[in-house]
Amino acid sequence: MADGLAIELRAVTKQYKRDEFTVPVLESLDLVVREGEFLALMGPSGSGKTTLLNLIAGLDYASSGEVIVHGQDLGRLSEGQITRWRANNVGFIFQLYNLIPVLTAFENVELPLLLTNLNRKRRRENVMTALRAVGLSEREDHYPRQLSGGQEQRVAIARAIVTDPYLLVADEPTGDLDRKSAEEILNLLEQLNSEFDKTIIMVTHDPIAAQKAHRLLHLDKGQLIGDVVQVPRLGAAS
Amino acid sequence: MKYFTYIFRNIRRNKLRSFLTIASVSACLFLASILASFTAINEEAASGTRDFNRLVTMSSQGLGAVVPIVRLNEIRGLGGVEFATPFSWYGGKLGEEIQPFAQFGVDAETIFKVYEELVVPPEDQKAFIQDRAGCVIGRKMATERKYQVGDKIPLKGTIYPFNLDLTVRGIYDSPPKSDGRMCFFHWDYLEEGLKRDFKGDRAGNAGVIMIRCNNSKVMPDLSKNIDAAYSNSDTPTKTQTEEAFSKMFAEYFGNFKDVISLVGIVVVLSLIFVTGNAMAMAMRERTTEMAVLKAIGFSNGRIMFLVLAESTLIAAAGGLIGAVGSKLMLDAYDISKFFAGFLAFFYVPWSVALIGLAVSIGIGFLSGLIPAISAARLSVINGLRKVV
Repeated sequence: MADGLAIELRAVTKQYKRDEFTVPVLESLDLVVREGEFLALMGPSGSGKTTLLNLIAGLDYASSGEVIVHGQDLGRLSEGQITRWRANNVGFIFQLYNLIPVLTAFENVELPLLLTNLNRKRRRENVMTALRAVGLSEREDHYPRQLSGGQEQRVAIARAIVTDPYLLVADEPTGDLDRKSAEEILNLLEQLNSEFDKTIIMVTHDPIAAQKAHRLLHLDKGQLIGDVVQVPRLGAAS
Repeated sequence: MKYFTYIFRNIRRNKLRSFLTIASVSACLFLASILASFTAINEEAASGTRDFNRLVTMSSQGLGAVVPIVRLNEIRGLGGVEFATPFSWYGGKLGEEIQPFAQFGVDAETIFKVYEELVVPPEDQKAFIQDRAGCVIGRKMATERKYQVGDKIPLKGTIYPFNLDLTVRGIYDSPPKSDGRMCFFHWDYLEEGLKRDFKGDRAGNAGVIMIRCNNSKVMPDLSKNIDAAYSNSDTPTKTQTEEAFSKMFAEYFGNFKDVISLVGIVVVLSLIFVTGNAMAMAMRERTTEMAVLKAIGFSNGRIMFLVLAESTLIAAAGGLIGAVGSKLMLDAYDISKFFAGFLAFFYVPWSVALIGLAVSIGIGFLSGLIPAISAARLSVINGLRKVV
């Protein structure tokens, strides 16, 4: 982007309907994330971290306000358009990896590429590149059940990056891992951010994981209550 | 095609469930194909008699009543009639077998002139004519029961209180789609038993009279004339083409076609429910996976396609095994021998097998429709919330 902004949220509000009640989750939230930034979102359960992540990733629509990602106002996209937009722009990393158990590591990573027009040979090249990037090229034929938790999460990261998305969103990517595996995953995310210039938004409860980010946002009751810049070179966003 | 791996692996994911679903579809379609074939074959057998210009004269009261044998010579004298023979059902038991095959008392001189498609060697026919207790049997029956010329066939009467001790004097060959399991014996031999052991009751009659006409054009008028001639007698007749007679005979078993249609509809509906339930269970287990696929960019249409393709493939596999399997199996193994002459031949026509396969594809599509729509309408947020 010319202005170097990856994400811009303007007065974003999100409410959920629970029967006759309206539950406010995010209230008039403003946020700017620069390109190539590695942002960590922290806060207690129910503070709205995952909801914010879902809005940025185009999984949900804001009740009001604007969510602009990579220059695109997501509120203006239909369901079909936003689905295509996600396929082209966002890579997802989940806490429980969410690999398809009946597919091999290779086939799991290949899934997003099935939506493209790439031929079989090009898909194979891209998948192997992604698997090499996470250090699992020799495990391409292994099923998720044959991999450790850390390895599964690395395959999930390979699936997230295989289409070379603009943005990576990670919802507690180390939440189900032991410390050593968590460290490997965080280093990998750090590497994707520094070497490949990926913008990363990570929700976490883990302060150690949050330290890897350039910037740390604290959410509570749907409002930003803290914005800490941890890496001076990127500068403060708010 | 690039989604085939994903679809195929999902089918194999719960092998037992997929196996049971495929097995239920294949078992039902196997039976449905056989039932549907009965109708198709009855139609084919009936229409296959058209070329032989035959009429059947029976009592107007139905097959339970008889036609006086004096009518035989009267009919033989009518214009357009080439040959005619009495045709009387004996219904004998062989050993412990009740109705082992069809046995008819006929005129030995004319039976193979009326049934010109049944070929018996002249010397065998001569031996048959000369032996009052002789019989001619079909090649299929001879092969299956290992009968040879000269063998005895002791039949025990079930309708009549006397037995027949027949000797095989000849074996006839028949075209593939005709009855190769009949046993023809002398009508006189049956008559003799009736007079001797049944106090003459039912003697002097034929079950029906089979008539071969010299051409098809005379048949409508001839049948009308025969019936008109006896309409005011004590024993009025009903004369019809052999094709019409065969269809009427099939209808004695009730409205078979409608029953089969009803059974078919029930089978299809229950299979839709069985397969639909299996797919719904599979989709419930895969809610999170569906949400992940949608998150990474699979559209609602693609999700629907994946679910429908899976349900259709499962049902089509059942259809292939059941419908096409029944065709191949019954081509290899002839079950018509178990029908005691009521069914001359049996096979599953390709048309029935392919319709069965098409029905299974339809079942798969319909049974997958609701799970597919549910999966497509699944909210990504709700789907992911299950585990995240």
